[in-house]
Amino acid sequence: MSFYLWGAKALPEGSDSASRLALAARDLGYKGLIICSCEPLRVFRMQASRQIKGIEVEYGAEVDVANARALHSRLSASRAAYPFLLVEASSEEIINAACESPNVDALLLSADRRLSIAAARAARQSQVAIGFDLSPFFRLRGSPRARWLEALRRNLGLARKFDLLLILTCRARSRLDLRGPREILAMAEVAGFEPAEAEEAMQLPERILKENKRRWLGPGVVLI
Amino acid sequence: MRSKLPVLFPKRRYVVFRLDSEEEVASKDIIKEIHSVQASLFGDIGAARNRLKLIYHEGCFGMLRCRHDHLQQTRATLASVYAIGGVRAALHIKGVAGTIKSAREKYIPQLSRSGAEDDGRRIELEEVSGCIVRIHGRKIDLCPDDPNRTRGSDTRYLGLTSFDLIGGHDDADGTSDGL
Repeated sequence: MSFYLWGAKALPEGSDSASRLALAARDLGYKGLIICSCEPLRVFRMQASRQIKGIEVEYGAEVDVANARALHSRLSASRAAYPFLLVEASSEEIINAACESPNVDALLLSADRRLSIAAARAARQSQVAIGFDLSPFFRLRGSPRARWLEALRRNLGLARKFDLLLILTCRARSRLDLRGPREILAMAEVAGFEPAEAEEAMQLPERILKENKRRWLGPGVVLI
Repeated sequence: MRSKLPVLFPKRRYVVFRLDSEEEVASKDIIKEIHSVQASLFGDIGAARNRLKLIYHEGCFGMLRCRHDHLQQTRATLASVYAIGGVRAALHIKGVAGTIKSAREKYIPQLSRSGAEDDGRRIELEEVSGCIVRIHGRKIDLCPDDPNRTRGSDTRYLGLTSFDLIGGHDDADGTSDGL
């Protein structure tokens, strides 16, 4: 099985360079790594990561904006440049706008954000994958983790009801935040995912990348 | 009274893990943290059903014993370890085996002690500068001059590779690996 790790942050937003993250991800058994930084052009020594053999390293962009209007303009500006676009759910307005935009590949739900029914319906129509960040699983303890698990189960229930695409990440900011694919599957299972569902969610980034790398000349026409 | 037959014992699995930490940690701190994480995640009842025992730990490799029907829970427990004795760390599972012998043979390398070497050299680049703390193969841990560099990631050192340093500075008189 080929698993991709996505949503990792490299220097200067994280504490490890892209090549170090790639080495660590390769050792853990990943086939690919998608680094998603808010400012991808500022990533430290981007080219060095391409020299790591045995792992594909891609650079996506995380769109972090204050309102829906800015989100749409950033998305259309970044779509052609990056094969993976991630939006972090910082407010309800952003969640709704991201779910309505087909340019968004994944909407990352943070610990306290809840998906609404309208947003879920829009995400289904726009084929936006709902990203679940599992890093609170090891960052938090006690009641904050219980609250996070409760919110995750609620969002997961809604995503299942509307048959949304699911995607899992550990949102690594350093090599010590990275977890292997089987560990992520185990954490997801404990958090409430079905094993097959979690496995599919881990394989989705590769499919998204493949689709986005195709050169679409128009609706239904691909340049081979 | 006749003792329990070996076939009636609960089946066990031996989980080999690799420890990735910023500093060296003691075995007793590792198992203390694992038990604490397990109790926090599954409660006392869950911990009683899957009694974890540290069989071996040396350098950056260790072996843990668990019940064979609680393997996923053991994986989740090890993945939940965030820091050991106040030192930022992560436990990565290398593999699982049915006997101690096969676990050792398959997953623990002969030279399991980390080949890390302390280094007094510095890295001076436009983007980052600091003292090299450790070099292990191509991996370099750097203590940055600006402590704000690691803000948000909860680590003390920056992680670089020798690939990042190749062609880094015009005046560098380093080797071909960039150092």
